[in-house]
Amino acid sequence: MPKVVRMVAEVVSEECTGCNLCVLVCPTVALGLRARRPDEPGPGRKVAVLDASACYNAQNCLEICPDDAIVMRDLDPPFTVGFDQTTVDTQAVERLCAATGLPPALGVCVCTRTTVAEIAAAILAGADTPEKVALATGARTGCTELCLQPILLLLAAAGHGEKPANPPGGFQWYGVCGTLYQHAQLDGSFPDDLVKDFPAYPLDRELLDLMRLRRS
Amino acid sequence: MHSSSEPFRRDLAPPPLLPTWNKRRPAEVVTQRVADLPDMVALPVRAVTPALPAPIWAPDPAFGPTDVEAIRVRTRDVVRAMDWSKIGRDTRVNLLANPHGFFLCGDAYVAMLEEIAAHVRVVTGARVRLRIAESMGHVENPDWMRIFDLPGRFGDAAECPQIGKGTRVATRFGDFWVTHNLFSGDYFIHTHVTEMREGYLHRMLDRLYKPFGMGYTRLETRSAYHIGFGPRTGQLVARAVFGSDFIQQRYTGTVVLDTTSEGVIGVHGDNDLAALDRRLAAGILRHYGTLIRLFAAIDECVTVFDGHGCGIYTYGGGIAFDNLLCADVDFLDLDNLALLSAMAAQGERKHDGLLMGSNPAIKAIVINYMAGGVPEQFVWDQYPTLVVGEPVYRWLITDPSNTYLAERATVLPDLPAALEQACAIAGTDKVIAFDRTPGAFRVSESMGRHLLEQAPAVAADVEHNRLPKWLAQRHLV
Repeated sequence: MPKVVRMVAEVVSEECTGCNLCVLVCPTVALGLRARRPDEPGPGRKVAVLDASACYNAQNCLEICPDDAIVMRDLDPPFTVGFDQTTVDTQAVERLCAATGLPPALGVCVCTRTTVAEIAAAILAGADTPEKVALATGARTGCTELCLQPILLLLAAAGHGEKPANPPGGFQWYGVCGTLYQHAQLDGSFPDDLVKDFPAYPLDRELLDLMRLRRS
Repeated sequence: MHSSSEPFRRDLAPPPLLPTWNKRRPAEVVTQRVADLPDMVALPVRAVTPALPAPIWAPDPAFGPTDVEAIRVRTRDVVRAMDWSKIGRDTRVNLLANPHGFFLCGDAYVAMLEEIAAHVRVVTGARVRLRIAESMGHVENPDWMRIFDLPGRFGDAAECPQIGKGTRVATRFGDFWVTHNLFSGDYFIHTHVTEMREGYLHRMLDRLYKPFGMGYTRLETRSAYHIGFGPRTGQLVARAVFGSDFIQQRYTGTVVLDTTSEGVIGVHGDNDLAALDRRLAAGILRHYGTLIRLFAAIDECVTVFDGHGCGIYTYGGGIAFDNLLCADVDFLDLDNLALLSAMAAQGERKHDGLLMGSNPAIKAIVINYMAGGVPEQFVWDQYPTLVVGEPVYRWLITDPSNTYLAERATVLPDLPAALEQACAIAGTDKVIAFDRTPGAFRVSESMGRHLLEQAPAVAADVEHNRLPKWLAQRHLV
């Protein structure tokens, strides 16, 4: 499902201190820094600069900026981003999805209604970092939150799990988090210490029910 | 006409719409609130749950004292009884707060925070800084820093969004990332409110731990809570993070406001989070469980969003809309595999009892005002949605999380027209609005009468059947 991008960020250079925070949180790496010109008023030696074509209205820059140096402007006309998964071999997409255990039809980016299969297809087509996945699909440019773990899982399963942060030191993403499933034993049970320490949590039943759900 | 014995009130106004962090002024755009409509009444929650304890503080004088002095006195008693000896002189202590506390308990929450900070400063000689854990929808919500003058009252106060720098935390379930600036001090104090938001996620398992799996964490941890664990086990993330060496080395204690739909009924604290959670859990289940199940007794309705909060987190009668959205499933019953449908593959919603977030009793939605920031396409997909006025519609479709609403929403010029059309679509005149009125549901008279009729049976069912099971499942009996 494509995302319609209706707003674009704008740097208020007179307020920008060049602190770099916006650069570190943009999911599509649409922001960078440049030297402030001598005739350009403002508090810092550097100033943020935006590649408007890569701004998908995630608004992370707006949220993180401590100096009110980002504003959002209406975009006229809006543009649409999304990835056509039919351009990629269906069986390869299914294999990549299967490698993560995530159902292809599962909606991972709820904001753009992007599915696991669409993410997998974009990765197979060359999107080998979370930033490129975001640029190709629009995923990670809404709430930027719900979809992150499955995208990192799919990238890792495709052999792209060790990519460095872009930009260096960026905190758009860190790494794959722990899961319940990684602790399941071959027979579907969980280690005795987990069962003993978390008695109110139905660990074994949870796994069986989730498998049932995913088979449905 | 309703009989004079009905407890409906027409004198309860919703809280005003406040300026938002992203500099919007909804009060200047929203010209009519649901409460202004002649057919709408306020049904006090006490009329349907008469056993609620009396508040020691309420946001509206109709339900209790609005003076925060009782909160201050109780908080001082609580923090004096706690052990702060772990905190050394001249160390840095982060007092962790969350926007839901400001949203629901306002001045009472700020008063509690002030008393904690003052006491800890005095008894330890430490430097206490206020750190607010932000979440999705932050920029769309009221600007609590300015509204409560938090920098002026706390000196060092900062908002810490989940998109900020992270810190890796090794746990027995694997690595997770927490928000660096929340835990950048030598120690921290955890605060909370007990209200029942996102019950479908935490399932009232380790309720007070939840921020350690969500609010205090980075994007990838929150994603893993939703995707990497099951519908009854997401709270293991919170338990795992809290139990990590990183957190335990810094954790000092927890102080919470115990709430009902009417306000605050108590202040509680403990250095032992597990003990505190167990002390409060039964009361939370009892006080909110009946109202949640009363939502399940709604057979048909039009829902109106008319306040701050992001759609599913708009509040009415002191509880969030997500409780109505998921009311077709008893998510407090741990036998129920109730997975939020937003995260499900297409087609899975046909399995009744498995997936919630698709309450068939909701027939249409009217948005008079709501904040963005939380993706809700699964809501727009299911229900005819009408938006009042172009300015609010424009705000909604430019929200990064909800551009899709443009394909689903119909824009109407004013609230009466939208509500009339929604009722025609729904085939019912039962309306319930989430306008942030505390202590009372904003309803049409027909809905009010329906809730009054259903309440005794619901209360009996909860008391005699459901609550004993909920408690037993959580080892609380």
